This record gives sequence, structure tokens and C-alpha cells, in this order.
Amino acid sequence: MEKGYEFEKRFREQILKCSRCGFCQAVCPVYKATLRPALNARGKMLILKEVMDGKIDLSEELIESLFQCTICASCYLNCPSGVEVPEIIKAARRDMAKKGILHPAFLGMEKALRDSGNIYMDDEPDIEGGRRVDKAKYVYFVGCVGLYRETEATDTTLELLDRLGVDYTLIDEVCCGGVLEDVGLDMIEDLSKRNMENIFKSGADTVITGCPYCFRTFNEREQYGPLRDRGIRIIHISQFLKDITFDVKTDKIVTYHDPCDLGRHCGIYEEPREIIRKIAPRFTEMEHHHQDALCCGAGGGVRGAFPKNSIEMARRRLKEAEEIGAEVVLTDCNSCLHNLSNAKLRRQKFRIYTTPQLLVELMDQK
Amino acid sequence: MEDAIRDRLIEIVGKENYTDKEIDLISYSYDASEHHHRPMCAVWVQETDQVSRILRLADSHKLPVYPRGAGTGLSGMAVPSEGGIVMDLSKMNRLLELSIEDRVVVVQPGIIYDDLQRALSPYGFFFPPDPASGKVCTIGGNVSTNAGGIRGAKYGTTKDYVLALQVVLPSGEVMRTGTRAMKSASGYDLTRLFVGSEGTLGVITEITLKIDPKPISHCTVQAVFKRLEQAGRAVSEIMRKGIVPSVLEILDIHTIRCINQMTDIGLPEAEAILLAETDGFTSEEAEFQMDKIIETFKENGAERLIKAETEAQEEEIWKARKSAYGVLARIKSNFVLEDVTVPISRVPELLKGISEISKRNEIQIATFGHAGDGNLHPQILYDGYNMKEVEKMKKASRELFELAISLGGTLTGEHGIGLSKAPFMGLEHDEVEMDMMRKIKRLFDPNNILNPGKMAL
Repeated sequence: MEKGYEFEKRFREQILKCSRCGFCQAVCPVYKATLRPALNARGKMLILKEVMDGKIDLSEELIESLFQCTICASCYLNCPSGVEVPEIIKAARRDMAKKGILHPAFLGMEKALRDSGNIYMDDEPDIEGGRRVDKAKYVYFVGCVGLYRETEATDTTLELLDRLGVDYTLIDEVCCGGVLEDVGLDMIEDLSKRNMENIFKSGADTVITGCPYCFRTFNEREQYGPLRDRGIRIIHISQFLKDITFDVKTDKIVTYHDPCDLGRHCGIYEEPREIIRKIAPRFTEMEHHHQDALCCGAGGGVRGAFPKNSIEMARRRLKEAEEIGAEVVLTDCNSCLHNLSNAKLRRQKFRIYTTPQLLVELMDQK
Repeated sequence: MEDAIRDRLIEIVGKENYTDKEIDLISYSYDASEHHHRPMCAVWVQETDQVSRILRLADSHKLPVYPRGAGTGLSGMAVPSEGGIVMDLSKMNRLLELSIEDRVVVVQPGIIYDDLQRALSPYGFFFPPDPASGKVCTIGGNVSTNAGGIRGAKYGTTKDYVLALQVVLPSGEVMRTGTRAMKSASGYDLTRLFVGSEGTLGVITEITLKIDPKPISHCTVQAVFKRLEQAGRAVSEIMRKGIVPSVLEILDIHTIRCINQMTDIGLPEAEAILLAETDGFTSEEAEFQMDKIIETFKENGAERLIKAETEAQEEEIWKARKSAYGVLARIKSNFVLEDVTVPISRVPELLKGISEISKRNEIQIATFGHAGDGNLHPQILYDGYNMKEVEKMKKASRELFELAISLGGTLTGEHGIGLSKAPFMGLEHDEVEMDMMRKIKRLFDPNNILNPGKMAL
């Protein structure tokens, strides 16, 4: 057996602190969708403990558990022992990837990203419009899901920025690369360099991201340090919009789904709600919200690797929207939007979209 | 394993509800105790008939079967210590019937405790036992371990609420016990025999519970006592005065210090802190009782007395008690959380004795728990990879059990015997009683396939 896995070096104490109380089972979206303890955070910690004890080695058999985590961080925030499960999982995946043990969905991902610059290996973004100028105050950074899948949401957001007269520009963006670390791979320096060069070239002092994950990556990852060093502010679209007064209203019952990357990971709960409350007096929370919000099931590579369970998680989320009689489900993450939309049942009559989409719709109705 | 048995199990539960994958076998090896052992396979059952067919199969091959809920038990009762089949009941999680008029609810064993409460809440009713693991644990697990909780002083434990059961016996026969009537003097109380039997006699597949209207008013107070004796006297006097607090919790000095070390709650360093709650259907009822408690606290030298006037203050008071488990869990890599219980008046002696055990064995023990029903939680902190500390932990545990028994108490108030306390059954139960328990076990389970090795049976 190979000695000295990185995950053990970094997190041995943490893994041993898991007291096996199982409280994570109450909040783990993968467990809730499958009722399988091996997929819960406790199960994952036990597996890694047995690896550390030399009882088993990192192997293909562990992929089903260790790669089936959306990195939603609910377990971590509810753990009496404070075990940092998401970071531990990412580290273990890295050790596995180094040995060539990777979920098939991520084999060749590095190469694909290098070649195409996006996670879908698509040729050209499918969005219409948007502003492209040499110099601007803001860069609007869309993110892969918004550029290649949820293009309607992106088109509408760009339309909103145009109507507001925002001095922004799109850039020739490539994937921020953050997802690579989630699935055990290394960030690609070439990609981050290209993004930063384009941002610098625009002269912008602020990057507005449409994607909470890009927001995190730019703000947190070492590779994007030069952005921060130059004093460039990175904000999420919800933070940008919250101070603007929109003279529109809807009498529909509107609810909001907290994306894990924005909420639990960055603590941004109120900005989106500030906007929504102003335009939707009948705003209603689902049973789980803010820190307790249910994960949509898309993160951590789970949508690609375990689509069936990913959709099941999204269904559980939408059931809560149904229970409160929501007519509109808003979320400010294209990835959540994508998964929730895919999971929506025919009988569920609510609309699912992003806050900018609702804003533009209301402006048009006026 | 013999392929034939695997094929039969798959035939019964379906391919998607059978597993012998390494990841599942590892996760089913453990519960919240320090014990672990790998099973041969695990099945998720969804119907009573499947349970029956599996037990019949296992019985004919003398294969051990371990019923399992959420696996949050602290004594190893769900650990498949002799290999065999783990039977996960978490998919049998439906609420079958709720009758407010009859004040009963009928559930499948896999229903999560909190989900049951959520279903009762709109009617103003609740299931009073309140284990700390309520967000995750299953009602089947609660019944099998006779789970308790913080409000035991007033509301008792699970056994006080189980009216009837459907149980599958190792022979595969399905038996109904009890009645949904509120009272019954009819024959042996087999329902009660199954409560707390830790899955050693049969697999519970349906549970009828008595439910109570939920009091709508309550008062909360926290009092600090410089000396442990003062707190002990206060508890005794509350009992003597005929007050029935819904909560009467105690934190000892070691717990207080750990909380102060690990959080910014900032408790005064004293030998004991008591937290009391009274409840009622009118605020007068709750206040009347609370006034008497406060009076008693003052008479016994309580130093800092805080009565919660707002919900926020109430939360603040509870924060210390609620943080205890988590705080203590973070101090060392391992711990055992005991639940020895003594007659209420002996709580101060128990606490003193625990301090002495801690000193004598040079091992950290912090204690908190339910002073109102004599049930304390000494949490022994140690490093599981340091054999010396493991030995000290074992010695301290034994001394703790001896102490509780010497004070007229019991090994376990609410966590059960499982594997952890099996070696100590003889301390509490004489040979005649142990022999009778073994005979009962053999009567129900002649081939000893159900959760073998637990409870020293």
C-alpha cells in the first residue's frame, strides 16, 4: 500500500474527531436522496479512517462514495465536532486522482478544459447580445453553465445590465477552473492566466460574476491572487443589483433557493433576499433556507457523475417549493437553475428562474 | 458468503436493496460507539413480509441479523459484531395513521423522530421523549433502545408511550402485541418486553405510540452554584416541594471549563450550573412552578440567577447545555459518553465520585446531564490510538459503573447496554435475573440469530 496520502497528512486529526454521532445524516443531501449510510459524511469519514488504519486502500470501489458528495457543506456546519468534510473529501479525491482513480465522468476533463476552455467541450458560447468594449468599469463574467447551458438566463441578465446602462464588458472568458479541484484535479494555470489577462486588459475595477462558483474561485483560490492583489473587486450579480431600485412588483408567491456556493460557503444570504423582498411582497421561505437550505444536488461533480441521485436531490428541493405554494422559484446560480429545471415535474406549475430574469419580465409587463 | 443465500436475499428485497459493496460494509460496521465489525452484507427492507422472509432464511442458516435504524446508538447495539446481515429499516419510514381523538399515532420503525414531531405539531401534539439525536434517529431505534432525553424528569422515556407493536420473530412469524386502547390489563405485557430489547428478540415493523398535547407555555432559568452540595440540595428540595420541572439539567465544573475554553459563552467558573424549565398550558402554571424553583435556588445560595424573559435569552441559556456534547467531542480524538443513572437524591454523590475517578485514573471526565431524573452523562475523553489512555478509559468506565450501582442506580438510563456495557450486566443484575433474561432470549430466538452478543445474553 502507498504511504503518506496527502489527505491524511492534512486532515488526520479532523477525520479522527468524527465521533460517528451521525448527525450529518439529518442534512446530507446525498443520504437523504438514497438513505444509504455509505454516502453520508459519516460513512465517508469512516471509509477514510479505514484507509488511514491500513485496512483498505484508496481504490475504484470507493469512487461511488467519495465522489458522491456535492460539497454543499451542510454536514460541516452541523457537525458537533466541526469536521471539515468538504475539504477532506476534496483532498481524498486528489489522492485518488493522482493514482488514476477517478470517476469516468472526469477522465479527460483536464485535457478537455485545456482544449476547449469550458467544461462542456463546446465550441462557441450560445448567447446573444451582451456588450463587448475595449475598456469598461465592470467585467461581467458569465461562467460555463451560463454560457453553454442556461443561456436564456444569461441573455436576460445581459439585457438587464444593458437597460440599467451599466458600463460593463464581456470578455473571452474560459472556465475559471474551480471545479477541477472539487473533483480531485489540479487547476489549470493557463486558464486562470487567460481570464486574468482579459480582465486586466479591460481596465475594469470590478468583476461581476453570474456564477457563485466563479465568484468563490476568484475570491479564494491562490491562482487568482493577482486579481485581488491589483485591488480588483469581485462581486456576485446579486450583490451588484441589491442597491438598485426597481420600480416593479409582482403579487405572485416567490421563494428563493440559496445556492450552496453563495450561502453556506460565502455567507451571502441577504443580498438576494433584499432585492426579492422589494419586488415580491409575498416572498415566502421554503422549509429549509439560509444555512439550512437543501442542496440542489448539482455540485461537486455529482450532476455529471451520478445524474440520477443528483436529480432526486433537486426533486426534494422542489417539493419544498411546492409545499409552500410557490409560483416562482428564484435562485442566483445558473448551476442550481439548471438542475432544478431538469428536475421539475409536469404537475409543478411554478416557474424557476434567476432574479434578473424575474426583474426583466416584470419590467416588460409594466 | 454462499451465493445461494445472496441470491435468495436479492430475490426477497430486489437487487437495488441488497449490498455487499465495500463502502456499505464499512459504513454498516459502525454506530456512534467505539465498536465496529464488518457484516457480510446489508439489506434495505421495505415491507414486513420481506423482514419475515429474511428472518426465516437467516434462521434456517443460523446467520446473524442486525436490525438498524439511523445507527446513532452509543453502546454498539447496531454493530454487526459477529458478521452476518445488517437489516436497515430506514426505508420503512411512513406514518401510517394519526388519530388525535384516540391520541395515538401508528408509524413504521424507520420514521425519523423529527419527522414524526413535525407531523404532530400542527395538531398541537407531540411525542414527549426527546433524545439529543432527534434530527436523525428513528422511532424504531428509540423503541428498541428505550431512548430518553432531556425532558425525562417530567415525561419519562420511550417505554411510557409505546402502546402496541407489530414484531417479526426469528421464525418469520408476525406477532401483534398490545392494544391501541389507552389502558389494558390483558395478559403479559409483551410490548414492554420489546421496548429496550435492542433487537435481540424480534424485528419491530410497526409501532403504535401514545401522544400528548404539547404544553404551550414554559419558563427557563439558569442558576450558578459555587458548591456542588448547594446544587444537590436545591434539586432535592425541588423534588420534596412537589414541583415537576420539565427540564432540570446540570453542568459540572469540568464541563463548564471546557465550554469556556472552546467557546465564547463565558460561563462563571463554579462547581455546578443548573438549568431549569417548567411548562404548562397556561403561563400561570409554568410561572407558578418556576417561582418555587427560583425560591429554592435562592435558598440554597444560587449566585447568578438568570430568568429568560425573551426567546433570545432562552436560547442563550440553552446554548451552554446544548454545546456541551460538541465542545467535549472536540477536546480529544475519542470519547465515550456514559449515561449512568442514580436515585435523584444521590446525584451530588455521583458527581463527586466521578471527579474522584477522573483524578485517580488521570483521565479527563466532564459531566453534564439530567439532574431531574438522576441520569448523568460523564463524557470520558481519551486518545484512541494511545493504548495507555484506552486502558485508563476502560478502568474509569468500570469504576463509574460500580459507583452508580453502589448508589442504588443503573448502568444506563437511556443509551442501552449493547456491547459497551455488556460486561457489566452482572454488576446490576443477579444471576437469577440474568438467567431469566437468557431464557427469554432463547425462547424468542432459539438459534440466537438476532443481534447476538448484545446485552450479555
